[in-house]
Formats: sequence, structure tokens, C-alpha cells
Amino acid sequence: MIEVKDLVKRYGNHLAVDHLTFTVERGEVLGFLGPNGAGKSTTMNMLTGYISATEGSIVIDGHDMYEEPELAKKNIGYLPELPPVYPDMTVREYLSFVADIKKVPASKKKNMIADVMKRTQITDVADRLIKHLSKGYKQRVGLAQAIVGYPEVIILDEPTVGLDPMQIIEIRDLIKELAKKHTVILSSHILSEVSVVCDKVMIINKGKLVVTDTPDQLSKHLRKTEGVELYLKNVGKELLEKLASLENVEHVETGKQDKDGIIKVIVYTAENVEIRDRLFYLLAEAKCPIYGMNKVSMSLEDIFLELTQNDAVSETAENRKKAVEDGQKDGMDKKQRKDGQEEENKEKEEVDKAEVKENKTEEKGGESNASDL
Amino acid sequence: MLAIYKKEMKSYFHSIIGYVFIAFFLALIGLFVFFYNLNYEYADFAITLYGIRMFGAFLFPIITMRLLAEENKQKTDQLLFTSPLSISKIIWGKYLAVVTIYAIVMAVSCVYPLVLSKYGAVNFKGDYAAILAFFLLGCAYLAIGMFISAMTESQAFAAVITLIVILFTVFSSTIAGFLPTDNKTAWLFFALIFMILTLVIYVMMKNMTVTLLFCSISEIVLAVLYLIKPTIYDGSVVRVSDWFSVISRFDNFMYGIFDVSAIVYYISISLLFVFLTMQVIKKRRWS
Repeated sequence: MIEVKDLVKRYGNHLAVDHLTFTVERGEVLGFLGPNGAGKSTTMNMLTGYISATEGSIVIDGHDMYEEPELAKKNIGYLPELPPVYPDMTVREYLSFVADIKKVPASKKKNMIADVMKRTQITDVADRLIKHLSKGYKQRVGLAQAIVGYPEVIILDEPTVGLDPMQIIEIRDLIKELAKKHTVILSSHILSEVSVVCDKVMIINKGKLVVTDTPDQLSKHLRKTEGVELYLKNVGKELLEKLASLENVEHVETGKQDKDGIIKVIVYTAENVEIRDRLFYLLAEAKCPIYGMNKVSMSLEDIFLELTQNDAVSETAENRKKAVEDGQKDGMDKKQRKDGQEEENKEKEEVDKAEVKENKTEEKGGESNASDL
Repeated sequence: MLAIYKKEMKSYFHSIIGYVFIAFFLALIGLFVFFYNLNYEYADFAITLYGIRMFGAFLFPIITMRLLAEENKQKTDQLLFTSPLSISKIIWGKYLAVVTIYAIVMAVSCVYPLVLSKYGAVNFKGDYAAILAFFLLGCAYLAIGMFISAMTESQAFAAVITLIVILFTVFSSTIAGFLPTDNKTAWLFFALIFMILTLVIYVMMKNMTVTLLFCSISEIVLAVLYLIKPTIYDGSVVRVSDWFSVISRFDNFMYGIFDVSAIVYYISISLLFVFLTMQVIKKRRWS
């Protein structure tokens, strides 16, 4: 359905998209995942023919985007980051205009608009001016616009940004429903969204494809995958060593002891190894009560962080551990300890940056939205 | 194309802009009819049009400023340029919409010669030729306004630049008339013009090599021309400024002469700027 080959977009010296190659089959839902500035929107703008690629080719349903743009674009419905709505039109007028420019035959137009409004649940605001609608409704009008004409491919750029949790769920359901009939590409920096909706996930970072797989299989691409989290009381060094020497155990991490003397211990294992029963017997034998036991596998969030910020994060994590260990060592002067803490804070900031960025873009969306009014 | 045209027409008449433009333009024509035809008792409506020719600078930006700047700002251009419509159809749809609004004004003003004929002999042929020429003159300005609107996201900026450009075309021949006509001044004048062009190129392309190349080649050619054949510069400033003098081509119509070259000039300016608008949009996609 969609074939993308060696797609490159260069802005001056800046490489926004770096040799992306992928295909999407009919009826598939593909999720683009990546931090802000990863090149998701640029890629989508190229897929829809809004901007042109520096190199590479895009073929949609057998039509090359640069050789037969009109035929290729006919198969695409696109919801950009900001819904491209005219504030001075009513919802019905707007959708009617969209149907016109998408060359929907006049005989089908009325029914199609009614159906699209029903599906996106905007029938009750059909005759209101778009500038008077809330952000959530505007987003839905944008989505309705993408569906008009029932194109084969629907491309959605961050469809749930700026919506409240209830609306997010509704939009997700709608996307799932669309996926039954259409090929859908959506981008997001929210991982749970992608894992819920998509058949296939592409993680992009700095314009490069990091990994592409189904949401369940993504964890395959990681180094440390599974572990068991234990809450133990009065655990000695000897016992910890014993735990570490168990078969298939890679290493053991301990957390801080709380005031009841309970300590968190994480036992990392290779993939698909069950050690919980052996842990139980070992600890029972050592008369060490287990206050809690959890199997931990890396969440999509961890995968995302690890894959996109790969070097930076794992390094900072190690440094942090070191700093904490150093801090605990006896005979260490205060100044050093302070350094360690400072470093730790810095690292935290770095990790937090991604989140801050997210918030910023959302604010931006809100601002421009406000200026519409 | 029809969809875009209909949408633009609707947006002009759903908002105040379309009415403001038509009302102001008609009021202005009415006022000048009162001055020239009723008060001074001129029989020619062409003279009235001649009188208001430079007020277009303030009127045309009203309808052209939002044409593409607003789409750029609202990001609705993403909808238009990802739709199966080609860029040329979108631009023509928009251009024809503003031309239609202007045509309404001109159509209404066709009534004046009829009214005036009640009170004396009126040169109908001359008057309607002048109305046609004035219409085409406006079309040229509308194309220029659309071109400027395509380059920016700000309506206000588009309006101001359009105003300045139109005023420039109004006064260019007058200003040129004041400049000394000797060869050396002409040479220095063109050298300066190309310097400014160089600056514009640098701002648009941000490429030092191309800019320097353009600057040095153009300046060298000008200097060599001056050294080899200084007579080529004789009266050249006036000649060149005449190319841009959209207004002065209307003069003949005031005297009742049907000037075909002016008609061709207006149509070509319109087509050129519609074409350039498409190029601006295509260029933005590629950068």
C-alpha cells in the first residue's frame, strides 16, 4: 500500500530525515514513535506530499508521490499536528468544502458528511462556527476532515495531543475502528497509545529508524529484559551473594532500606527464565521472609527511553549509581558528596528534558488555539 | 478549482472584508464622480477613474492580504496542498475570487456613463474602454498582492508591502523624472539597484557563494558596459522605471485612446505574478 524508499529530508546542513525505508500493508496500523524533533512530522508531511523529499521515493497504492501527485494524494487523508480548520466556517460548511476539494461526487457528499460526523461524534456541533469549538472538538473536526472521501490511507500526526483523557480514549476507539477498513499511520510520543492501537511500531530518533516491530516484540531489542522485584527483611550480604549465584541470574540490585528494615532487591535474569519458585525456596530455607514479589519486565516507556536516548541514559544511570555508592562509602568528605549530588541532579534534569519538551509542545498547541479565538 | 473559488467568495462575504472593499471602492468612485463630473462638469467617466488610480494602493491590499498569508498562518495550507488539487488550480481559484470581487465594483461603475449620458453627450466607447483598462490594471495589482501574500504568514506585513509596491509603481516614473539623466548617475543608479538585489538574494537564499557571485558578475557587467558604450545608459533610468510604471499606461485611456499595448501589459503582469505565486509555493515545498 505504502512503499517508502531511502527517504531523506535535508534542511540546510540539518538532516531531518535520514534514509528511512519502510512499507505498510493494506489494513495495517503503523505507529511512528519518537521524541520531539525526531522527524515524525517531517516524514508525514512528505508522505502526504505537503513538502517534498530531498531524496528517495514514496509510492502510494502504486502511484509515485512526485510523478502522479494528484492520484497519490487522492488515496490519503491527513490530519496534521494542528487541525487545518477555517475558524470562520461551520463544521458542516468546512466538511463540505473538504469533500469538494477531495473531489467527492455531489450525489454522495451529503450522506458521506453525515456519516463522517456521526463517526467522529460531532453531529451536535455541525452548525457551529469552528472558532467557537473546544480543542477536543477541533481535533475531532480535523479527524473528520481526514476521513472525508474514505481514503485508503489515513495519516494522523499526534491525533490525541491536547485532549482530555476521556477524549483520548474516544479518539483511540475511533482509530481502532478506522483500522478495520483503512490503512492508518499515526505518530505519537505517548507510548501507551501506540501499544494499544498499532500493529507495528517504528521508533525514530534523529531522523533515523531505530527499530521496527510489533509492540509486544519490541522488548526483544533490549539488553536487560526481565527481573524479579523482591521486598525482603533483614537480608544479609551472604544471602544476596547466594541470590546472585543462582543459575540464570545475571546480577542483583538492592535499593534503600526503609524504616521497617524492608529492602527492595531486584534480581535480573535472562529472558524467559522462571526463577520465582527457586527464589522462594532459597529464601524460605534461609528463613528470610518475603514481603512482596513482582515480576518486572521493561515497559514500553523504558524501551523507548533506552532506544532513543540509548547512550545518554544508560551512562547517566550508571554514573548515578556510582555517585550513590560513593556517597555511602565511609570516610568520604562532604565536598565530594555534594559533587555527587550535583551530578545526580544534572542527570535527572537530562532525563526530565524529554518530558518538559512534551509539555512545551502541548502548550504551544494550546496557545495557537487560543489565538484562533 | 471551483471549490476553492466558492470557499474564497464565501469567506469574503461571510466576513466584513468583501463588503468593506466594495463599499469603499464604490464610495470613492462616487465621490470622484461628484467632484469631476458633477461639480467640474467633465463629460468623461475616464477622468474620474484617472483621478482615483492611486487610491488602489490602499484598497487592493484589503482583499489580497489574507489570500495566502492566512492559510500559511492557520496551517490550512496543509489541507489544500495535500488535497488532490494541483497548486495551479488552488492559486487560480483564489485569484479568480478576488478578481470577481473587483469585477463587481467595476460592473457597478458601468452605470455611471449611462447616468451621465442623461445630462449631455458621453463618449461611451472611451468610457467603457477606460473601465476595461482600469479593471485589468486592478487585476495586475491583485496578482501582485497575492504574490506578496504568498510569501508571508502575516496579513499586516503583506498589506504594508503591497501598499508600498503599488505606490512605487504609481510614482516610479515621477521619481525617475527627477533623477539626473547623465550616464554616470545612471550607471551608479543601476549599481545601487543590483546591490539591493544582492541583499535580497542573500536574505532569501542565505548562501554566501551565490550572493557574491551574483553581486560581482552584475557589477562587473554594468561597469564594462559603462566603459565600452556609455551611451547605452542615456535616459535608461526613465526607460527602466517605465517598465514598472503600471499606472502611466492608463494615461492614454484618459485621452480616449484605446492602447492595446497597455492591455497586453496588464494581462502579462497578472499572468506573471500568478505564475510567480505558484513558484513561491513550490519553492517552499522544496526548501
